[in-house]
Amino acid sequence: MSDGFTSAIISTHGIGGAKDLPISPELAIAGASAALVVSFTVLAVAWRTPRYDAATSGRPAPALLTRLVDSAGWRVACRVLGFAVFLYAAMAAVFGKDLVINPVFGIFYVWWWVGLVPLSLLLGPVWKAISPVRTINLGFAKVSGSDPDRGLFTYPERLGYWPAALGLFAFVWMELVYPFSTELGPVRLWCAAYVAVMLVGGALFGSRFYESADPFEVYSTLVAHLSVWGRRDGRLVLRSPLANLDTVPARPGLVAVVAVLFGSTAFDSFKDSSRWLSFVQSTDVSTDLLNNLALVAFCVGVGLIFATGSMLTGLGDDLRRRELPNLLAHSVVPIIVGYIVAHYLRYLVEVGQLTLIQASDPFSDGSNYLGTADLDPWYWLAYHPTFLANVKVLAVVAGHVLGVIAAHDRAIKILPPRHQLTGQLPLLFAMVAFTVGGLYLLFAA
Amino acid sequence: MRRVLAALAALLCSLAVLTACGGSDSPDEADSGPKTIAVTIEGGNVTPNGERVEVAVGQEVELDVTSDAPGVIHVHSSPEQELEFDAGESTLTIEGIDKPGTVDVESHELEKVIVQLEVR
Repeated sequence: MSDGFTSAIISTHGIGGAKDLPISPELAIAGASAALVVSFTVLAVAWRTPRYDAATSGRPAPALLTRLVDSAGWRVACRVLGFAVFLYAAMAAVFGKDLVINPVFGIFYVWWWVGLVPLSLLLGPVWKAISPVRTINLGFAKVSGSDPDRGLFTYPERLGYWPAALGLFAFVWMELVYPFSTELGPVRLWCAAYVAVMLVGGALFGSRFYESADPFEVYSTLVAHLSVWGRRDGRLVLRSPLANLDTVPARPGLVAVVAVLFGSTAFDSFKDSSRWLSFVQSTDVSTDLLNNLALVAFCVGVGLIFATGSMLTGLGDDLRRRELPNLLAHSVVPIIVGYIVAHYLRYLVEVGQLTLIQASDPFSDGSNYLGTADLDPWYWLAYHPTFLANVKVLAVVAGHVLGVIAAHDRAIKILPPRHQLTGQLPLLFAMVAFTVGGLYLLFAA
Repeated sequence: MRRVLAALAALLCSLAVLTACGGSDSPDEADSGPKTIAVTIEGGNVTPNGERVEVAVGQEVELDVTSDAPGVIHVHSSPEQELEFDAGESTLTIEGIDKPGTVDVESHELEKVIVQLEVR
């Protein structure tokens, strides 16, 4: 293991050394104009009758594949895999040293938080399949002979995704604002609190709790709605990502979830911008306070812009205005994923590999348990900044396009005919604002 | 649907063309000698204050530091560089950074970013 990166990953900035170069202004403008043009093109020429319907969309997956993923062996294998990684990380967290080369930091901030996105995008709801808290809940139920799906109470539907939004905020706060985010104690405490809350929730409400309240399961399952894997009446089906996205359940708090996810990622870009740095560093107000306020402002701001954009429409009698934001919030998911790709791609590839290298040495004593300690990280993306910048902008624009189409299809489904087009306009502006804002941050920070 | 797809495809193609002209990598200036940055650390403040400075891959950076107290400057490249200095005037050299990216140069004591090097 070279000593190069051991010292490179340093505490005050979270983990990871150098950051991405800003994208060029030409690229940002090209992306923004493409987003703008696409938006109005979709509005002008797209279909006028809804195309996506969860009850009929998708074609059955090949029988062999269905048998495999529905088999007990497959499920157990997933649970064992998830639990093994969980135990390994817990071991490093409990018995490892409080050094930045402890792999627990990379596992926590990079594999878990960022890695879950591509995994879910490719494979479907991954966290649901491997979640160690679900596994423990399952184990308790097996031992006590009860049903893991049932708890003492029924999960209150009014709570919806709100607990997950809170949990996601707790994570991004820890990652982006909390000054001691790369010390072992706080990471241990955060994880212990997460596991505790999840187990109590599971005992009280059964595994239905995880669907709505486990921040990682909600995040992973939302992203999985952009994969091709879906279920219809319990059967595994293949769907187009857009048809799959349409099947996101519109529970209360969905807007809060997408607002935290998008707002926090935007804040992560913003806090490294030269302008914010020089402001924060030259005022007498505490930096921590300002960062806390800015993170909240970004999340609340995204939520408000989206809610306003989706509510400014004419309505029929069958729908209340307050329901609109959650009914349309699934359309922000592709925008989030596009921006996450842009923001985290190089970070995930590089620090993800460093974490794999460090994972061989969980106690920081020079061991090589997994045989990965001598791997050479692949830095190709860093050496090809133009390629990276193009991928980033394409990801943002592609996410925007999918988001606009998803919103359009939902709008023509729920809005009365005479408001279907004009009613979409404010929402379209909100989405363009997100995308252009995201591109601006990639350019300015 | 086909019309939409065609329109989208056309747009993405035009975007690809636009971006192809947009992103030109800066020429390698590694031979043009070190970049010099005057740094003042005084009364808990740093100058420059978080500004961006472009440097070439491999180009050395010379910091002319004037400080009212001794301290350490962290360069968040990989590998990380640590530069110690005394009170008064001193000249520190940041070794050339071989990987493109944005690298923070930070006062360790004040936890303030002095400059962000855009290594291209």
